[in-house]
Amino acid sequence: MKNILLVCAAGMSTSMLVNKMQKAAEGKGEDININATSGGDIKSYIGDADVLLLGPQVSYLKDDYTNQYGGANGIPVEVINSLDYGTMNGEKVLNWALELIDQ
Amino acid sequence: MAISGFQQKLQSVAGKISSNKYLKAVSDGLMSALPALIIGAFSTLLSGMQFEAYQNFITNTGLKELLELPAQYTTDMVAVYAVFFIAFRLAGAFDKDGAPAGLIALMSFFVLTPTAVMEDTSVLPFQFLGAQGLFVAIIVGLISARLYVFIVNKGITIKMPDGVPPTVAKTFTGLVPGILIVVLFTIVSFLFRMTAFESMHQFVYSFIQTPMQNLGGGFWSLIAMTLVIHILWLLGIHGMLVILPIYLSIWMPLGVENLDAMAAGQELPNIVNTAFAQLFMLLGGSGATLGLAIIMTFMAKSKRYRMLGKIALPGSIFGINEPLIFGLPIVLNPYLAIPFVLAPLTAVIIPYFLMASGMITKLAGAHLPLGTPAFFNAILQGGFVILIVQILMIVVTALVYYPFFRVIDKQALAEEKAAEQ
Repeated sequence: MKNILLVCAAGMSTSMLVNKMQKAAEGKGEDININATSGGDIKSYIGDADVLLLGPQVSYLKDDYTNQYGGANGIPVEVINSLDYGTMNGEKVLNWALELIDQ
Repeated sequence: MAISGFQQKLQSVAGKISSNKYLKAVSDGLMSALPALIIGAFSTLLSGMQFEAYQNFITNTGLKELLELPAQYTTDMVAVYAVFFIAFRLAGAFDKDGAPAGLIALMSFFVLTPTAVMEDTSVLPFQFLGAQGLFVAIIVGLISARLYVFIVNKGITIKMPDGVPPTVAKTFTGLVPGILIVVLFTIVSFLFRMTAFESMHQFVYSFIQTPMQNLGGGFWSLIAMTLVIHILWLLGIHGMLVILPIYLSIWMPLGVENLDAMAAGQELPNIVNTAFAQLFMLLGGSGATLGLAIIMTFMAKSKRYRMLGKIALPGSIFGINEPLIFGLPIVLNPYLAIPFVLAPLTAVIIPYFLMASGMITKLAGAHLPLGTPAFFNAILQGGFVILIVQILMIVVTALVYYPFFRVIDKQALAEEKAAEQ
């Protein structure tokens, strides 16, 4: 079971990307769980997350989250490539997220 | 690169603003209270819809009273919900239990609120529980929660012996800060009673809230807000998120005043409010990009932009346009920077003057949820006239975007052709 967590301002546009990622995940035969949330509600999801991805519009939160959840013992914290985000390229973002988990 | 250095600096400033604990507590707290406002808005809109046959029907059947009821305990009491959630969120930001902080803030708020006597019964007037009390709610919510955090951190609590169930111990944790803070606000309340204002509410409303709202509800504030939001977006920063504390604490109550006026059958006072921003400035999302999404989908010559238009159009109707902002992209794109600022400016200026001159009615002011679709929101806020104005603004903004979009569309088409050969 792999948990991917996406964060944006209101959790709205990332939820669109999550839908696309979930479709891509179905074809993988792995148990992958993907969630989208807003920055304010991150605490209720972060516990299970294996990787934390930020929407490009909240990229300035990266340092903050890296300090809190990332680092040596934490999980990878990264900003999603803005072009992949804009074109809602679920498959590419999913593969990238899985790579980050495996690293 | 100078621009990226500047961008980074600005990003960190924007990051600091939007992750500032106090500002964030205000916007998160107000956001938490929004469901109440939205329910209230529908209640007022449903009871106030100006169709004669409908009004006759609901008045005669007594339905009108029923439809108005939720508004009284939602819109008209929004400060009560706000004060609880602002304190709740601020205590949470300091990793403290939010519930006792919220309760203490609520008690402090009521201690400051003047009562009245009617026919020998003491009553609590609604006057300062709604929009008029919102600034006091913000002030009290922040101060009381911060004091709560301070007192708990200092360890001034009642220590329970071992063996006392944790839930019981938790209740008592809230007690000492509660007593200290409520006593403090009781003294404040008493001091204000000795002044000509008679209450902190009256003082804050006259000296802080009204001037701020007059300033924030004016034409130039509308222009300034539009500029700030969109220039930040051009640099890749979520402009709306940065401006949210001001947006919610100033423009939202202006909308509530309109709703109240509508419920009372009076003339609507404010042009600018969150409803106005949602209908026009954010028509299709930041940058008023619904018109752009339409021209991309139906008029783009390059495959790339036509595809992107198709991805972006459905979301755009619901005000979600990140695919355009990052996919086109609009961020840091010199070709689209001008229309991205110009389109929302035109989309707010035209309706502003139509309303100021009395040619069209002002909006009902309901704060509708994020993602309420275009057209539907226009009908809710002002009926068919406003719907026509909104459609007109889609056309106008599309015209603003068109010449700029054509340039990048031509480039993309040439690239696609070159790639085919």
